[in-house]
Amino acid sequence: MTVSTKHRVLWRRCIALLLLIPAIAFAGTPPSSGKKLKIGVTLHPYYSFVANIVGDRAEVVALIPAEANPHNYQPQPDDITRAMNIDVLVVNGIGHDEWAFQIIKAAGRGANLPIIQANASVALIPIGGGQDGAKVVNPHTFVSTTAAIQQVFEITRRLGELDPDNAAAYRQNALAYAARIRELRAGFMTRFAALDLSSFRCATTHAGYDYMMQEFGLFVSAVIEPRHGVAPTARQLANTIDAIKKANVRVLFAEKNFSLDLAKPIEAATGVKVFSLSHITGNTYSPDEFEVAMRENLETLAEAVEFTQQ
Amino acid sequence: MGPLSPRRASGADRPSDHAKVVHPVSGRWESLALLLAVLAVIASVAGYITLRPQKAGPPTPLSWQVRSFDGLGQVDQAIHSALLPAGEEIIWFNNDTGGWITLERAQKILLPPFYRDAFWKTNGEVQWQLILPGTHQPHAASGDEHANAPVTPPDQTANKVSQATQGQGATVYYGSAGRAPGQSAYLLVIGHAHAGVMWANQATIWIHRNPNAPYPGIVKPESLVGDGWRQVIPYDGASEVERVKGTQP
Repeated sequence: MTVSTKHRVLWRRCIALLLLIPAIAFAGTPPSSGKKLKIGVTLHPYYSFVANIVGDRAEVVALIPAEANPHNYQPQPDDITRAMNIDVLVVNGIGHDEWAFQIIKAAGRGANLPIIQANASVALIPIGGGQDGAKVVNPHTFVSTTAAIQQVFEITRRLGELDPDNAAAYRQNALAYAARIRELRAGFMTRFAALDLSSFRCATTHAGYDYMMQEFGLFVSAVIEPRHGVAPTARQLANTIDAIKKANVRVLFAEKNFSLDLAKPIEAATGVKVFSLSHITGNTYSPDEFEVAMRENLETLAEAVEFTQQ
Repeated sequence: MGPLSPRRASGADRPSDHAKVVHPVSGRWESLALLLAVLAVIASVAGYITLRPQKAGPPTPLSWQVRSFDGLGQVDQAIHSALLPAGEEIIWFNNDTGGWITLERAQKILLPPFYRDAFWKTNGEVQWQLILPGTHQPHAASGDEHANAPVTPPDQTANKVSQATQGQGATVYYGSAGRAPGQSAYLLVIGHAHAGVMWANQATIWIHRNPNAPYPGIVKPESLVGDGWRQVIPYDGASEVERVKGTQP
């Protein structure tokens, strides 16, 4: 072997070693589990919750299209495809996303898909405002700040069990998110502090706002829908109108994204002023959707209370 | 064709004259088989009703417990709902730092029900105190500097209580003097893992019908029950799912 050949071989080895160095460096820092968790969610608020908990350490997959109404949703084939490719599913579990269980069953995941019940540790409260005196569980825990934070913590705890390598990061993110939600609430609390809430009486078309009202010491006097998502009969409507008049209700909260058909005759019959609150169901999923919608809800609530002070 | 007239019965039409009993070929087995089939159906239905899997109902509170869902007034319910996530956050804070969220820090991080906002105001302006593990006296060094927050002075029995509860390990947030009608006094009792208490690493919430109930000193369940405190059993989402769908895998 000549000297020049020896040099050429040595030179090639050096180049090969230089090329290997970055490969070795990158090989040393993969995600510890090797792949990001794919977390399915059923409702808009849970998309926001999970996106804020996981940041870029996991992927959030909405199980159904953003514009779908969860109250009467019929599963579609694409939903089943999505359900086949997720690692865990976050559900409300107490009244808004029963269809999710049909989807995961159809996807053959009924036995092996971990389910996170976001409400597992939330203290549920009954639907306010009548319902024939029966205490019926209100499933709208996500239209709130305190119960929302409780759900964020529950989801975080369960995700930490499923993905222990990222558990600490999830918890830090959850605490930061909870602090932001509390800050949002505090801004409106300051505004409410100057108001007299003792005489505030309201009715709602949809029994969706008890948790939010509870946080401000407000309570619902009457609910138009006799059951969740069910329109009242003429008799029930007449009884509700009587209850509104007797309770001296001045404000009716309708649902922003649903029809106002129920609110208008009640407004005409009783003289209440109609305000619209959001059920947090929009046309797109986004990490900040919950905060945006809750800010609007709290703004509307403050305006309604201020209206009753006039 | 003339109108029809009723036919008079003749002697040949009387059934008694031609009555003939026809016995079933099977010798009455049809009746017996029918009877057995009916009995089998009744037995099956009765068996199903008796042995069918029972759906779990809401947890039934013991005499010293109260359910949050239907056993608390609206103000107590609101404070309980706020104490649950607060307890979780306090435990996380302790896990991460080894310390406890003082009442002063609770003001800074806007943590309900301790944070003095409209919620605090409309829910009775409860006076909260932090009692650290082992001391079982209001935490003097909590930094809670609110001028109108009365701090219970250490009583004569405090040292005895403190000694008796050394190692008990519970951190307690004690709320009293609420002004809302029908309001209770509150204890958020957080077990501390290092002390090995039976409810370590979890928070329990207790209420007392008297909003001015004194701090109990000893926060073991049997002592609390003896002092008239009742443990609040949250009716949570897990309980509701169990009620609706039965026990989940």
